[in-house]
Amino acid sequence: MSQKSGSLGRYFVIRLAMAVPMVLILLTLVFFMLRVAPGDPVTASAGGAKMTAEQIAAKRHAAGFDRPLINQYGEYLGNVVKGDFGTTISDHRKVTDIIVENGGATLTLALAALFVALVVGLPLGLLAGRYRDTGFDVAIRLFGIVTYAAPAFVLGALAQIVFVKKLGWLDDSSLQASPLIQASVPTKSHILIVDAAMAGDWNAVHNIFLHLILPSVTLGLIIVGVFIRMVRVNLIQTLRGDYVEAARARGIREHKVVTKHAFRNALIPVITVIGMQVALLLGGSVLTEKTFSWPGLGNQLINYLNARDYIAVQGIVTFIAVVVIVIGILIDFVNALIDPRVRY
Amino acid sequence: MARTKRVIAAATVGILAASMAACSSDDGSGKGNGGNPSGGAGGGGTVILGTTDKVGSLDPAAAYDLPSWTIIRNTFQKLYRFPEGSTTAVPDAAQKCDFPDPKTYSCTLKPGQTFSDGTPLTAKDVKFSFERMLKINDPNGPAPLLGSMDTVDAPDDNTVVFHLKNADVTFASVVASEVGAIVPSSGKYPLDKLADNSTLLGSGAYKLAKYTPGQQAVFELNDKYKGDIKPANGKFLIQYFTESSALKQAIENGTVDVAVTGLSPTDITDLRGKSSQGIKVIDGIGSTIRFMTFNVKSAPVDNKAVRQAIAQTVDRESMIKQAYNGTVDPLYSLVANGFAGHADAFKDKYGAPSKDKAKAILDAAGVKTPVDLTLWYNPGHYGATTADEYTEIKRQLDASGLFKVNLQTTEWEAYKKSFAAGEYAAWGAGWQPDFPDSDNYIEPFLRPDGTFHVNYDNPAAKALIEKERTSADPAARNAAFAEAQKIAADDVPYIPLWQGKQVAVTRPGVEGVDKTLDVSVLVSFWVISKK
Amino acid sequence: MTSMQTTPPVTTVAPSAARSKGRRFSGPRQTLGLIREAHGIGKFMLWSGIVLSTLFVLTALLAPWISPYDFDTYQDGGERFPKLGEPSGTNTFGTTVQSLDVLSRVIWGARTALEVMVLAVVFSLIVGVLLGLVSGFFGGWLDRILVLIMDTLFAFPYLLLAIVAAFMFQGLPGGGVLTTAIAITVVYIPQYFRVVRASTLSAREAMYVEAARAIGAKPGTIMRRYIFGNVIQSVPVITTVNAADALSTLAGLGFLGFGIQPTEAAEWGYDVSRALTDINADIWWTATFPCVAIVLAILGFTLLGEGLNDVLNPTMRRRKISKVIIPALTKPRTVVTVAAVPAQADAPAAESTETEAEPAAADGAESTETAETAETAGSEQPQEEGK
Repeated sequence: MSQKSGSLGRYFVIRLAMAVPMVLILLTLVFFMLRVAPGDPVTASAGGAKMTAEQIAAKRHAAGFDRPLINQYGEYLGNVVKGDFGTTISDHRKVTDIIVENGGATLTLALAALFVALVVGLPLGLLAGRYRDTGFDVAIRLFGIVTYAAPAFVLGALAQIVFVKKLGWLDDSSLQASPLIQASVPTKSHILIVDAAMAGDWNAVHNIFLHLILPSVTLGLIIVGVFIRMVRVNLIQTLRGDYVEAARARGIREHKVVTKHAFRNALIPVITVIGMQVALLLGGSVLTEKTFSWPGLGNQLINYLNARDYIAVQGIVTFIAVVVIVIGILIDFVNALIDPRVRY
Repeated sequence: MARTKRVIAAATVGILAASMAACSSDDGSGKGNGGNPSGGAGGGGTVILGTTDKVGSLDPAAAYDLPSWTIIRNTFQKLYRFPEGSTTAVPDAAQKCDFPDPKTYSCTLKPGQTFSDGTPLTAKDVKFSFERMLKINDPNGPAPLLGSMDTVDAPDDNTVVFHLKNADVTFASVVASEVGAIVPSSGKYPLDKLADNSTLLGSGAYKLAKYTPGQQAVFELNDKYKGDIKPANGKFLIQYFTESSALKQAIENGTVDVAVTGLSPTDITDLRGKSSQGIKVIDGIGSTIRFMTFNVKSAPVDNKAVRQAIAQTVDRESMIKQAYNGTVDPLYSLVANGFAGHADAFKDKYGAPSKDKAKAILDAAGVKTPVDLTLWYNPGHYGATTADEYTEIKRQLDASGLFKVNLQTTEWEAYKKSFAAGEYAAWGAGWQPDFPDSDNYIEPFLRPDGTFHVNYDNPAAKALIEKERTSADPAARNAAFAEAQKIAADDVPYIPLWQGKQVAVTRPGVEGVDKTLDVSVLVSFWVISKK
Repeated sequence: MTSMQTTPPVTTVAPSAARSKGRRFSGPRQTLGLIREAHGIGKFMLWSGIVLSTLFVLTALLAPWISPYDFDTYQDGGERFPKLGEPSGTNTFGTTVQSLDVLSRVIWGARTALEVMVLAVVFSLIVGVLLGLVSGFFGGWLDRILVLIMDTLFAFPYLLLAIVAAFMFQGLPGGGVLTTAIAITVVYIPQYFRVVRASTLSAREAMYVEAARAIGAKPGTIMRRYIFGNVIQSVPVITTVNAADALSTLAGLGFLGFGIQPTEAAEWGYDVSRALTDINADIWWTATFPCVAIVLAILGFTLLGEGLNDVLNPTMRRRKISKVIIPALTKPRTVVTVAAVPAQADAPAAESTETEAEPAAADGAESTETAETAETAGSEQPQEEGK
């Protein structure tokens, strides 16, 4: 925390420069990890076909697998810089197409889940912190711990049993929308709910929204425990701060002290927490997507892993990791904007 | 070069998929489904089909899996085609094709046909399509099916002449399979590389209106289509699911009108009990087969007596009841039921399962029991129920007291490599024919250096294959098939276990699905209607 | 689960490192004392955590004796179990699609989970602590590269990393248990590394270490005799939290089909994935019991970790003596309780300090010292003020 310079611009540049080696290491790790793994991407992606030796050679050549690893690596890096993640071996899709076509579903799910986590987690965390050590606190903390302990697929299965099978509220909980609705929405942004809104089809928006509820609540609950915990701890610690003491000493009512002074300060670090949750959110989305047949990147990743489609796996994994890193930078930047102490 | 093909590629699909024979067949229809607010498109005869399939490619040059072939079947024309429920090809884009001599196959096209964008379809396009297939020779593609083709000529706009490397009567069937899809020579399909991945331009009964890979494919009627097919619906929609449980829910609550591939035996048993809600489970035939495979050079199954004793012990009926809830049929020959020349060779030879007879076989050969046997299977590729299937087989073999089975499994890629390298003595595998001819159940299995690397080499079988491939006389061919099946039952390089049944589940008001559940195991969109 | 698992460790490092200055190995005794002193919700969580995890461990260890059947038994006394049979006298929790006893699968599943968990925790402990020690002690380029790699791994969605690692190590001779354990290890090494490195950095600058160096002790000796003892105290809390996450990752891998092969052992995640199709057919028992087992096992270790954290973490700890009662003017009876220790060591602060340190490290050799100071600052502060 040296105070050498308070320039926001400089901070941003440094933070960005620091991300470059991280991204590079990441690309390297992903590339080599997948190359070391057993199994041959060429024959694997051919399903059960028995290929002739020439075909295998042709395919290896096409995919560049017949060249020295280091050349492949160099070329891969070069292509990634150009925004080209390659074309999948198993079904000839451009990885960028996968990201565009399926990323929308994951983005929708992740944002909705984050929203759920915030809406549920912040008030509960504040309540728990405010009424520390009361029954409230205990119940809320336990809720947070239990939802954290339950894997996404357990929560998902539970949600399906309760809301779909028993209560019959959301009768189709999988997919992004009813098939006919989805078919009717013209594709523009590849984010279904946005496309529907752009087309002014509110009926479709409604339908898509209904489909989103269960998956996003499931995923949201996974991270809600983290929010509760953070907000609670922050509030408790803020309540011990000098200025809170000072406010109390001035005779300001406890209620006002808490709402006026403590809440705001307790919530600021939440931005950081959101940033840290992105990785958890994207990891959890793999399980959630699978449980709800949600057509996002996580589901695609599982498919391509099963097909041993290295190009696809490499591309999707790299993309997800870069997203995590970029969001980390943005969060740090926002933090620096808010809190001038966080600078170099 | 021997013809090679994909081993039940479609089975890879969903994690839970599998149990059923492979491919998607059904569909569902559109409107008025519970929980479907009727928005946007839709309209009267829209049928929605739900499946857990995963489409490999829309380009015929790279498409060699059932989900892709289903789309090709409905959107492209071929010279001949197999109508629903039939193994006899009828003219499609061609008026007539025949063999002027055993090494030449010649076709005349119907005049005035066009692709869905209005470009005329001529002999040039046919020549282009076949040459392109061989030129691209995509490793995932079906080009190997055209192994006996040498060159193709288009002497005029309406005539196509194929020159074959050797006499091969199955070529007519090959051309009528999806490998024969005709693509336009101008524009979207480059000669030497695959088309963009969402490109689809054919002259078939349907055209692709909207495609979101892994999620949805929307088909509309092709108003330029000039063929004989009269679609019973106005629009067809395939919804792709990743989970079998989600598909089950979708058919129950009406999100889709027809569900096919990917329902588990448990799902199907449960759905059979829902007829009061108008949900119908329709059983059709299938052509997928599953079998145990032996490397005949590898101990302990290098001993024919051991293989025969296993064949004598395995109780298919019981295994099918336990593992598959009867959703598949027992199979006693390499050639599936319903194909010309099929004979229950294993039943004829071994009769009912008997551990006494099996013991006698082993004793006669002086084999010490119990025989230690490592048996491999692969649920990743053949479906989760395969785990139940091989668990049952292990239990049966162990219970006979003659074998001690060690069950092993590994990830599909390593599995495929290992059995090809001869590392396994006994393993489970599956097969889906590429075209409806018994040859496709015999030649890949019994030729020396067969598809499954069993090290089996029997000159008698080889001679029989030669005989059926060069004969145009169905009776003579069937006799050759029967003989080959007998040889297989005696030498036991494979033990056929079961044949898939296609099972479709439909909602009330959906008709015609039964017609499409044929041996092609591809869905013919046009026969399905929805009130 | 990043932040859940990281924050407790980061918070606890500081106090233990501080406490240990000059008083080697007094930590464990003090820890036990604190546990005994625990009260309120902390005590409740701690004890319910202890009970649940003990139950889990006992189930796993005693599986051969308490399980009615083997995990792959499908018949008893020549009579075959029903397929998907309802809970009954013979099969208390019913049977699966393979006619296997659900209760036995659940019990044996605990054993599999324990095996994987122990292996994973031990592996990541060894590798993480070693790397952290070496990196923190020697500093320099090695340190910088390791930090960068670990931070990168840390930024990676944990389940994705585990899946990719499980793929990479597939086919190891040790079988599915070992493969899965190694895959999970890869995910958790960075955490131990971070914590251990941070406390090594602070311990390295301590007077007694300086003194040891001055009298000519070899680096190996210093690390072994002076630093290791201190550093190791920060590990227990992460270990419990990691144990919980190892269980959850194992279940996730099993659910996705990348875990242990079904023929090798009973595994809860795989059983749940097979049972999903049963739920739709109103067969509840095949999914419910493994689900409950997963949740309880993870819950046990999570509660244990949270409880320990509550009890050991000075910033969250309440001491009865430190109650300060402020009479509010309008509401005389409102009682506000304030703990004695100030707040700077809270998790987010420590977290952000660490992030700040990185650019400095990347900045160039000159700023290394600054970086280290910055990094340790987060942990040192509370100690100073707490004294």
